[in-house]
Amino acid sequence: MSYSVGRLDKLVEKNRVHRDVYTNPEVFDLEMERLWGRAWVYVGHESQVSQAGEFITTSIGTEPVVLSRDKFGQVHVLYNRCGHKGAKVAAHKTGKTSMFRCPYHGWSYHLDGKLNVVPHDRGYDDTGFDREDPQFSMQPVARVASHRGFVFASLAGDGPDLKTFLGATIATIDNMCDRSPVGKVEVVGSSLPYMHDCNWKMFIENLNDAVHPMVAHASVGHATRKVVDGLPEGAPTPGEAEIISPFGGSYEFFDSLGCRTMPFGHSFMGGKGSIHSSYSEIPGYMESMVASYGQKKVDEILSQNRHNTTVYPSFTLKDAVQVARVCRPIAVDKTLIESWHFRLVGAPEEMLHRTITYSRLINSPASMVGPDDWDCYERMQNSLQSESAHWVDMRRFIGQEKLEGDVTVSPGTSDQASRNQYKAWSAYMTGEVA
Amino acid sequence: MLTASKNEASDLREIEAFLYREADLLDAGNLRAWRDLFTEDGTYWLPISPDQDDPLGHISIIYEDKMMMAIRAENFGHRLAASMQYAVRSSHIVANTRLQERSADGSEIVVKSNFQAVIYYRTQSVYAGTCTHKLRREESDWRIVQKRVDLINCDADHKSIVIYI
Repeated sequence: MSYSVGRLDKLVEKNRVHRDVYTNPEVFDLEMERLWGRAWVYVGHESQVSQAGEFITTSIGTEPVVLSRDKFGQVHVLYNRCGHKGAKVAAHKTGKTSMFRCPYHGWSYHLDGKLNVVPHDRGYDDTGFDREDPQFSMQPVARVASHRGFVFASLAGDGPDLKTFLGATIATIDNMCDRSPVGKVEVVGSSLPYMHDCNWKMFIENLNDAVHPMVAHASVGHATRKVVDGLPEGAPTPGEAEIISPFGGSYEFFDSLGCRTMPFGHSFMGGKGSIHSSYSEIPGYMESMVASYGQKKVDEILSQNRHNTTVYPSFTLKDAVQVARVCRPIAVDKTLIESWHFRLVGAPEEMLHRTITYSRLINSPASMVGPDDWDCYERMQNSLQSESAHWVDMRRFIGQEKLEGDVTVSPGTSDQASRNQYKAWSAYMTGEVA
Repeated sequence: MLTASKNEASDLREIEAFLYREADLLDAGNLRAWRDLFTEDGTYWLPISPDQDDPLGHISIIYEDKMMMAIRAENFGHRLAASMQYAVRSSHIVANTRLQERSADGSEIVVKSNFQAVIYYRTQSVYAGTCTHKLRREESDWRIVQKRVDLINCDADHKSIVIYI
């Protein structure tokens, strides 16, 4: 690698970053090793492997992995690699099996990754072959931990524990679960994948970039208003319009939400209010919540309303909408974004319908919101090749941060979320403790 | 199950002509006139998984009613949308049209067809699959109660899709 630590250090300044962080394949490879290879990365939700033998396949950075549940109920995250010749063992996105079996030479593994059967194994007699040697297994990743069913893994043996890592973002996960009358959420169905022609960080930075919605999403805001204004007088506002309209919110609206940043690169907008605050009530939901928690506690739960909690680098959650998006880097200019949808267990099914409608309108590759973001990312990815300038600016509202414990509060349209991400990025990339 | 009818062949010709007209309006990018082909309760559905039976409780790529179709028609080609600053051209081929169901009085039918749509939007992409049209006769013409498009790669990692298929 020609990228020395000293040179990596020079890619990030306090108010700008060098274009190489988005465009240089060597930097991408180093990110996979130093950042994605060390951080806690979201893998999946326990409800996706609720029964023994169930598994899903995904990736941590560019490492293919399997999330499985063994017959004792234990959840594992394994490298999806045969201990024999290295072939990917599980190819299906989801499945249920009594063991993993490599389709090449038939080596099989238990759901915890331990070697089960090697066909015709007398060929290994007196060869020093040790079936207990981890290299002949589907190896577990270094660390796995979960919070309320959300499973994260780290490829590094050392580092902060999951709770420390999640910090203030843990309240977003808790709030989403608490919005269920029984305090539980579960994944519904398959994911919504959306392939992006851009560096993964462009997506992550956009989540708490509040100076883009009123520009990039102006058209769908205008189109929605025009159609809604043409509805007969007294007609109720359609749910779709309640979802789309706030994307055209004013600068002042987003400033008032505020942006909160915290250690390890995480951030969220809002807190007591967000672009999801003014949704209509769904019949039966309040009743089921009050029956479980009592009015006072319900008011407290529903008053938390965060927009795009970002758990850097892999995961973003909307607690009030019950949608998660997972960032999966594929190459320096290729990123897969997967949306996952959660049911509030015990709540009226209409709550799930709203979650689904939201994701279709905002996250789908065929929505009228996602494609405008997509296009702007791709424009950056392309035009950052230009020799006219080599730096990308992020100085909005710099110096106006206020500290509240280990949470930094800035106006909503500040670039602070991006600056905070690069602070963590530098720490990971130069080998300091993040 | 479809009952044999001596008018079946002529019905099929009429329905094919309707499907060609529908595809033509999409190929012309005329989303307003295309929307007018739907009944007031009409929907367009692009499922994300094969054999998906629920558009409300499971994610789809698109599931839109007439109001959303109106918003999409307003947004299509909008000068402020980054994604709309490119030509969108498509060419649909509709074939293997077959009647699946017919109501007793003949006013509602379900017709299946296979299609290939080549869409040029930034790059050229090929979409293929099966369409299921539920049609209702209103006055003298057919109207679409639902157009369901099952892509053979419905669960693939799609990039942006900016027009109905």
